[in-house]
Amino acid sequence: MQNPNLRILTYDLGKNCFVFVSNKETVKLIIAVASLKHKADLLAGKKMIIRVENLVKHYGKVKAVDGVSFSVEVGEIFGLLGPNGAGKTTLMEILCGLRRFDGGRVTVNDLDIVKDAYKVRATIGFCPQETLLYDLLSVRENLAFSAALYSLDGKKFKERVEFSTKVLGVGEFLNRRAQQLSGGMRRRANLAASIIHDPPIVILDEPTVGFDPTIKREFWELIKNLKSSGKTVLLSTHDMYEADTICDRVAIMEKGKVAALDKPRVLKETIGGEPAIHVRVKNSQTKKAIATLKEYNATLLGDEVQITAKNPLGIMTDVSNKLASQGILPEKIEVVEPTLEDVFMKLSGRKLTEETI
Amino acid sequence: MNSIIGIAVKDIKTFFREKGTMFWTIAFPIMILLLFTAIFGRDIPFNANIGVVDNDHSPISASIITGLNSTKGIFTVKNFTDKTEALKELNTSSVRAVITIPKNFTLNLTVGIPAHVMMAIDETSPDVANLVGNGIKTFLTEYYKEYYHTVYNATYLEPVVVNEEQAVVHEKIGYKESIVPGMLTYPLLFSSMVAATGAIVFEREKGTLKKIRASPARPINVLLGKTLAALFQTAISILIMGVLAAVLLGPKLNWNLSLLVPIFFLGSINGIALGLIISCIGRAPQEASNAATTIAIVLQFFTGMYFPIEYLPTYLQQIGRFIPMTYAAQALRDIMIRNATFGDLLMPIATLTGTAIILYVIGVMLYRRWVEK
Repeated sequence: MQNPNLRILTYDLGKNCFVFVSNKETVKLIIAVASLKHKADLLAGKKMIIRVENLVKHYGKVKAVDGVSFSVEVGEIFGLLGPNGAGKTTLMEILCGLRRFDGGRVTVNDLDIVKDAYKVRATIGFCPQETLLYDLLSVRENLAFSAALYSLDGKKFKERVEFSTKVLGVGEFLNRRAQQLSGGMRRRANLAASIIHDPPIVILDEPTVGFDPTIKREFWELIKNLKSSGKTVLLSTHDMYEADTICDRVAIMEKGKVAALDKPRVLKETIGGEPAIHVRVKNSQTKKAIATLKEYNATLLGDEVQITAKNPLGIMTDVSNKLASQGILPEKIEVVEPTLEDVFMKLSGRKLTEETI
Repeated sequence: MNSIIGIAVKDIKTFFREKGTMFWTIAFPIMILLLFTAIFGRDIPFNANIGVVDNDHSPISASIITGLNSTKGIFTVKNFTDKTEALKELNTSSVRAVITIPKNFTLNLTVGIPAHVMMAIDETSPDVANLVGNGIKTFLTEYYKEYYHTVYNATYLEPVVVNEEQAVVHEKIGYKESIVPGMLTYPLLFSSMVAATGAIVFEREKGTLKKIRASPARPINVLLGKTLAALFQTAISILIMGVLAAVLLGPKLNWNLSLLVPIFFLGSINGIALGLIISCIGRAPQEASNAATTIAIVLQFFTGMYFPIEYLPTYLQQIGRFIPMTYAAQALRDIMIRNATFGDLLMPIATLTGTAIILYVIGVMLYRRWVEK
């Protein structure tokens, strides 16, 4: 029997996207589609450097990771987006060999992460959320320690320090003790230490959490630089804007599952809904404005009037004219594109930022 | 660079820059040594105040008091005219014993009637009471012998006479000679255990263990690196203690480094392995730290470091036999006091090697289990 709330439109393998509109009840189906998407990627013969299949991890009775499957393509920036407790960090720690798992299979560079644990670790640069530097050692000494863990020789170490200086900008504080660094410098040094062994894969757990916007943007550039230098980056974030800005593909995680997976643009187009025109008028004129724009199915969203439309720019002039004809002078009128926040809200029925502040 | 060396170098650099840790690592053996020097750096490691109530007021009673006062510092005499006052001080432990010389003491002595002296002892400290009681009795016996010789111009003969002679295997040693090997055992137990526990606990507390675990460095390499660093710290403690002991106490001991170094090494490895085990068992970092300190403090009493294990009840002596450091302490004594040769040390070396291997393997297994959780 057809569910009246369910509107699956199509799944277009050629365009590398799936098209449907979901509501709260369709999460299970979306996960099935995300899994299909994962299989489609594999079938498409893309070079996948990380493959996660039906991964399951319990903490006691709690299922932290619940049958997660996805693949990460060589050279892409892949984001795991979700609120705290969605299972992102657990998933990353499993990939880095820091946690055991209860079911499923993970391969990195075609190596099984259990059987070839030490080989896999050598190919990953893990940069956890917290800065794991030794405060009493200088940045150079911290880098040397990380290099020793990966048995780097002196020549390679020198090269990598030069790389860190050039790409991550650690040169200016190489000889300073970690305890004397600012927050941004510490993060850069931490990242440099994590990738001192020149790994093909870089895993970043919430790399910009707690940063001010300027440093955040600076860090995004660093991550993009890593991609340019041929690295595959897997990062977790609960910042939808970050995921949207720097990730090639995003897996949205919710309660240990991948709820949706695709390019941010595709996710927004297919799940996020249509763009909208937001109009703010004086409180006393709100009802009148909704009545005036009745033909566009105008609704009230917060203190603004919202009109969803496939082509909002096409009707913008008409909307303005109609309001003006009724003597309503908008305080603000703008086109709002759907965001990953909308995608998450459609999938989970709640805001992504609700649990993360 | 090899991961083992890398971890060791990092830990040693951190140790030198962690001023508090370094201060206490150096200050600790110095403090222990100064304390021991003050206690044992003299010939008579005991001094007690005793009260004397002289009701006889004779030259003989006066000579007894003078004699007690000149017992090479064992007793310091405090004179009382009133016995009640003297007993009051006894009750506050200001004096450890009160001797009352009765009125007719000299008379009885000269006419051959048994001359009694009353002695009250502070029993609040059984060991002190025992020492003081026996000391006073021995003094009075010797005093009587001297008196007898003076009065009768003849030697007082006891039924059995014990004559001291030179020991065959080694020279007679003093307190400082007997205590130095014990003091050098201290870092083997304390410094090594605390350093090893601290090394792991520090990484856990800072979260940096995550970085090490995410690397291809194998657990055994991590532990070997930590062990090297802990060995280095222990060696510093031993060196400071050894040099200071030699300079301040000047003991007449055999410093055979070719035998001492292997014992120090094996003893340290045992302590480090114990530290690793404790750091993996403790769930919280603070718990592990406290456990290491507590266990080290408790174990020191079973190892014969400070006093012979014969002081312990038999069942506690048995516990001491299961503690590797007991063998290290004994081996150090054998080398430094008895001039033991390698052949003499085969048993303690084999024991220390065996326990080091067993404890280290347990430490590695526990660490692996812990990191793989």
